[in-house]
Amino acid sequence: MATKIKSRALQEFQEATQCLVNPALQKWKDQGGRVIGCYCSYVPVEVITAAGFVPFRMRGTGSTGTDLADTCVSSINCSFVRHSLDLGLRGEYSFLDGVLWVNSCDHVRRIYDHWKRKIDTSYLRLLALPKKNEQAQIDWYRDEIRFLRESMGPHFGVWISDDRLWDAIKLHNQTRRLQRQLYELKKRKNPPITGAETLAVMVAGTAMPPEYYNGLLKELVDELSQSKDGHADHRARIMLIGGILDDPAYIEVIESQGALVVTDSLCFGTRNMWGEVDEKAGDPFTALAQYYLYDRPQCARIFGDQPRRSAFIKEMIRQFDVDGVIAERLVMCDNWTGEQFMTGEDLKEAGIPYIRLDRDYVNIGAGQLRTRVQAFLEMMGR
Amino acid sequence: MIVGGCDIGSATGKAVVMKDGQVVSFSITPSAVKPDVTARKAMDEALQKAGLSKLEDLDYVVGTGYGRLKVDFANENISEITCHARGAQWLLPTVRTVVDIGGQDCKVMSVTEKGKVLEFVMNDKCAAGTGKFYEAMARTLHISLEQLSTLGLDARKPAVISSQCSVFAESEVITLINEDVDLADIIAGLNNSVAGRLSGMVGRVGLVEDVVLTGGCAKNETLAKALEQRLKVKIKKLPMDPQIAGAVGAAVIAAEKVAQKAQVDSVAAKSHS
Repeated sequence: MATKIKSRALQEFQEATQCLVNPALQKWKDQGGRVIGCYCSYVPVEVITAAGFVPFRMRGTGSTGTDLADTCVSSINCSFVRHSLDLGLRGEYSFLDGVLWVNSCDHVRRIYDHWKRKIDTSYLRLLALPKKNEQAQIDWYRDEIRFLRESMGPHFGVWISDDRLWDAIKLHNQTRRLQRQLYELKKRKNPPITGAETLAVMVAGTAMPPEYYNGLLKELVDELSQSKDGHADHRARIMLIGGILDDPAYIEVIESQGALVVTDSLCFGTRNMWGEVDEKAGDPFTALAQYYLYDRPQCARIFGDQPRRSAFIKEMIRQFDVDGVIAERLVMCDNWTGEQFMTGEDLKEAGIPYIRLDRDYVNIGAGQLRTRVQAFLEMMGR
Repeated sequence: MIVGGCDIGSATGKAVVMKDGQVVSFSITPSAVKPDVTARKAMDEALQKAGLSKLEDLDYVVGTGYGRLKVDFANENISEITCHARGAQWLLPTVRTVVDIGGQDCKVMSVTEKGKVLEFVMNDKCAAGTGKFYEAMARTLHISLEQLSTLGLDARKPAVISSQCSVFAESEVITLINEDVDLADIIAGLNNSVAGRLSGMVGRVGLVEDVVLTGGCAKNETLAKALEQRLKVKIKKLPMDPQIAGAVGAAVIAAEKVAQKAQVDSVAAKSHS
């Protein structure tokens, strides 16, 4: 699907998905700014921003092999884990001043263990993320976030005050608001931006200083809001759901068959920005825990929350006038395996066309992907 | 009306020529390195068998299979999932579940009484239960593919092969050879392992009779028997070579396209007169 946008902002976002250190981040580093890596979207980035640092979502971008990682993990570990750890072992993440993890899955948790032993990064911390999201666990995560502040502050010699946390919450809420405005435009009959382009916008948002990103994103949203151009040549409107996906090229292959991705439930997509952290809550830690663990759409790793996830998907299908749902997962991802099955049953009951796909983190497998998407569209009679 | 279907797979190219709703000829040829060469060779052979001389004799051609974009002479391409379902159901109208085992993938489709795909699953990133798997096993056992498909029928005590991974299954087979296990029992064990994987895929789309096998590996009698035992149903046989089901489906769709166009043209002609 050919792009119709010539925006400078979009181009900068797209370039940021092709590398780890984009020019804006490099500039931040050159000025002495610190950068903290985050494994998984459950790391409360507001705490990093409040410390005066830039949060950077960990990826495996640019990795071509996993020889170094394979010395400490095995082929039953997912390809994201292997590629991102491999980059770490090769020194590609030496621009980071610290890395934060949550135990989003056992595979990611193990990266933390290996990183600690083999890679020289001055600050490493794993937050204990609960497996359920009832009140007791939200309270637990509130305390974990508080402990993070108390650990990070002394290490870097900064004091993360409540006021600074509230400022950071407001800043990241602004990012979420702008991103939702962008998605709002995709509800149009002829959306002005493709799914691949949208993913680039979302990924860039995890790799740039937030104020700078918000400025660029506002420019893009304004430009698209005023434009009457849109994609009219698609065969179907698609919702994409699944785990970690940061490569716009994957969606490009899907869209090359005429399946326009108009919305998603991805951790580089809506799950990271639907709703906002409550700016009026009693304390910032409660507000963050409540948003990350309950208010926004949750990852398949949270037990007992599947009915809410299905309800969210159905609501998005309604809002974005979706014709069919594509579910992707990385091979070996156990969290998304069971989820794909349950989602499929729920959507079948609702009469919504659905297909499950397996992915490798680096190798897109364009031929196989095209065949499945084409067959899916034919199955829908489009 | 004469139409063609051309299915370019990873291991073989298949072509079908259809005249007035009847298959008049077909061909199966090993895949060349270049899919466009395979396509041309397969179609030329089918044309010759039909007593036709040139591509222009065909009113419409549909290309399918992994090489479908390289069938230069096709009017359009349709995925092999749609074509296998359409072809199998056209050949045997009572079919509701199609298990296709090709050279590099296997898939299961549930189909309607009109041959439309309701749901499908396809193996991903794995050679287990495909033609490639059988080729590797035939090499390990030093037998032909034909022997591999029938020798297992005589098994008395099928070996247990737990792994569905081609690579690990191969090492299990080597262990069995070294333990002097009967060849027939090893082959039956291999097919049980593949049948186990396929039955899981059938379970995902939901088993509805009649069930048929298509693709090159459908000719493997030991596998068909193993799958029947797993699914606890009788697997029906197609009235034609199961390897050409995809090409037949492509030709059936081609014929539909010609008929649709004729209808549109006649409506247009009437409105002009």
